[in-house]
Amino acid sequence: MTRLSRRNFIRIGGAAVAGATLGLPHIARATGGNVVIVGGGVGGATTARYLKLANPDISVTVVEPKSSYHTCFMSNEVLGGERTLEGIEVGYDGLKSMGITMVQDRASGIDPDARTVTTAGGETLNFDRCVVAPGISFVTDGIEGYDEAAQEKIPHAWQAGPQTALLRSQLEAMEDGGLVVIIAPPNPFRCPPGPYERASMIAHYLKAEKPKSKVMILDPKEKFSKQGLFMQAWKDLYGHGTDNSMIEWNTFSKVGAINKLDAAAMTVETDFESFDPAVINYIPPQKAGKIALDADLADDSGWCPVDKMTFESSKHAGVHVIGDAAIATAMPKSGYSANSQGKVTAAAIVAALAGKEMPQPSYVNTCYSIAGTDYGFSVAAVYRYKADDNTIAGVEGAGGLTPVDASPEQRKREVAFAHSWYNNIRKDTWG
Amino acid sequence: MKARGILSSALAVMALVSVAGQAPAAELEASMLANTCNGCHGPNGTSYGPAAPTIGGTNAAYMFETMVAFREGERPSTIMQRIAKGYSDEELKLIADYFAKQPFGRVVDQNTDPDLVARGKQIYDNLCEDCHEDEGMSAIDYPALAGQMMPYLDHQLHDLISGRRDLEKNEALSSKERRKKMRNLKELVDTEGEDGVTAVIHFFGSKN
Repeated sequence: MTRLSRRNFIRIGGAAVAGATLGLPHIARATGGNVVIVGGGVGGATTARYLKLANPDISVTVVEPKSSYHTCFMSNEVLGGERTLEGIEVGYDGLKSMGITMVQDRASGIDPDARTVTTAGGETLNFDRCVVAPGISFVTDGIEGYDEAAQEKIPHAWQAGPQTALLRSQLEAMEDGGLVVIIAPPNPFRCPPGPYERASMIAHYLKAEKPKSKVMILDPKEKFSKQGLFMQAWKDLYGHGTDNSMIEWNTFSKVGAINKLDAAAMTVETDFESFDPAVINYIPPQKAGKIALDADLADDSGWCPVDKMTFESSKHAGVHVIGDAAIATAMPKSGYSANSQGKVTAAAIVAALAGKEMPQPSYVNTCYSIAGTDYGFSVAAVYRYKADDNTIAGVEGAGGLTPVDASPEQRKREVAFAHSWYNNIRKDTWG
Repeated sequence: MKARGILSSALAVMALVSVAGQAPAAELEASMLANTCNGCHGPNGTSYGPAAPTIGGTNAAYMFETMVAFREGERPSTIMQRIAKGYSDEELKLIADYFAKQPFGRVVDQNTDPDLVARGKQIYDNLCEDCHEDEGMSAIDYPALAGQMMPYLDHQLHDLISGRRDLEKNEALSSKERRKKMRNLKELVDTEGEDGVTAVIHFFGSKN
């Protein structure tokens, strides 16, 4: 019975789909069009790939200054010593092999009226549609002693690459018994659980190599993503709640806001206290990537308002903004969000170029955190577009966190799934 | 129990036929829904491992049943139960049909032990072949196991053996099928032991 039922299912299902396909000449094959994508990170690369997959006749150009990209996700494993910097590096051959043009240059201007992107090298690229996926930039003023130059000694490592290597080398060079201070950013920022996973991964390294050392998080926020799960992990793995805790979490309300960083003396001064760490990891407040700000795509918040169904800019028609730079309501600024938004944007552009209606979008976010050996957990959400108030809202009853009382086997599996996710999203994004 | 499962599947298929028949947007919606899965399961549902299964090329009915079982909390998982709750029967049907049309990619050369592969092949011939036909390559009635990542196979086999993934609760299987699968799993453990389980995993993992 079951066998018959399954075979019938396939026959019926197959016929239905074939019928739909016949009635529908490939949606965008009839039309080509020029799409210029600014940024070769997760959002930009995913959009490029899914545009080409949907319609190879669309001309897709990606403007990206770097010749390879270091994923921010899993960069905390580099800090923890579980992965090399090369292990989070991905090249652009996968995009090129699909016929996507890579322009290895920095985008210096976007003209939404003339529909051109100009590059620092002096090129002018015409577009029918532009996708701006520039990630984040940092607010570097406001704290005494902190500027671009100070980053040579106080890395943020919030864009993976040389700063990740620098922070790792500082951890390697510090003596046992030293203090690592992580200063977390205010909301909203890239990768909400990131600072806390970072604290965990650094503690993981120190526990094995420099067990008298300590990690202290100074946080402008009163709560953070996956807080219960992190706190449980720190208790299980790093003595949280005891006198010998390797991780301490202090909010500004307790220790005061940061008012001075001294890169030469390596000191942190808050309103009430002074710290003398071996390593300072200051993760500054964030806003949309510079090109989005320069191109008048951001509002007063520093982030870019968009139509949540198509990610087309609310300020300039024909230009889409996705990933960390966009205001995507309930979706966090994560790699998976950017990947999911890239697919929605590709579908929106394919439809727009063909003069068709945009299909109903669907978005997902999953996010894994690894807190130590065989200790992982996750959060997930499925989102739908709500036209009445132009929001992206989580589907009620779906998604959520790993249970706090998950078994050790479950936590171990979540690490395996985190690594699975890494391999697969890389492949899905860059080919 | 079983009748209910089949009936609800049949109704959902009928719903799908009517939707797909009238609306060209339905297929687009299928790819829109299915593409969100690729972040974890790989492009076109082909996983580059280690723990998430390849879902491209999966028998559509099996995938639909599996997703419903996740959604209803009848099958254990790390994260899928939480995600499956975000989709209706009709959406799951579209997703399952979409992935059934994709190729089953066997893209990662897994590190297998030839002796374990040979022993696994013998065990497969005795205990697994009736359902997982063609050395586990077939996806006609049951999931294709050949070429799935070994950590994934390890999780699933151990969940089945421990009863954490409870075949008794699988409404899609006839009681005869359930009995047979449970009997064969028991025989695997009783006569071949943990090494035999590992051997079966190596056998399927050796396929590419």
